[in-house]
Amino acid sequence: MTGGTWYWVLFGLCAAWVIVCGIGVVALRNIVHSAVSMVFCFLGVAFIYVLLNAELLAVIQILIYVGAISVVILFGIMLTEHPRGRLGLFFNRQSIFVLPLVVATMLGFVALAVSAKLPPSGSESHNPALEVLSKALFNEYVYPFELVSVVLLAAMVGAILLARRED
Amino acid sequence: MKPVDWYLALAIILFCIGAYGVLARRNIILVVMSLELMLNAVNIALVAFANFMPTASPRGTYFVLFVITLAAAEVTVGLAIVIANYRNRRSVQTDDYDELKG
Repeated sequence: MTGGTWYWVLFGLCAAWVIVCGIGVVALRNIVHSAVSMVFCFLGVAFIYVLLNAELLAVIQILIYVGAISVVILFGIMLTEHPRGRLGLFFNRQSIFVLPLVVATMLGFVALAVSAKLPPSGSESHNPALEVLSKALFNEYVYPFELVSVVLLAAMVGAILLARRED
Repeated sequence: MKPVDWYLALAIILFCIGAYGVLARRNIILVVMSLELMLNAVNIALVAFANFMPTASPRGTYFVLFVITLAAAEVTVGLAIVIANYRNRRSVQTDDYDELKG
């Protein structure tokens, strides 16, 4: 699956898509444009999952991130008021120092990852098939699964309580 | 470079873009969005390891499932807090949230 030139051409396209849309999220002034850019970035990440043989994760990514989380964030944007104007309104005073810091961290970690002595990768995929994955989720990982559902319930109740008008 | 290195490089670059958004932007909703970018970057790294490492078991995929679920919970509570704060301060800019200043 990983062999072949076309695989890496597709990977390059998807990676460029994800990075360009990611930069769009942090660099665009209008927050609605940022949100739309974020949706496309999540879509690119779903393509990356497909390239990594994790088709189920790609579907879940589209359902939850592209479908649900984006809509929640867009609702959050529409329920609040956002300033328009000069550039200083959008970036911190400290953002001049943040850019070289982030770029230096990025280069350092990429160098670290490339120079790390990772074991050579096999040619075949190790991602589980849907059947294996669901069996593991309801046997070996049933306690984390139940715990996560309790966390989701608590988050739902908490969000309603927090966002309710107090009167 | 090995195949996994390319995916790790992509994950690191996306993570750093998200970190820049968290550190440099004033809008609190944009900070939440940048956090989501960082979570996605970590997910890419986990799936890449689960896919390419011969010694690794597929646990990375299970982990990503739980990370996605918790990200959904986090964004819900985060935006509820943002809206509660907006009701008090009529602002979403982080520098207007200065009540804890000494």
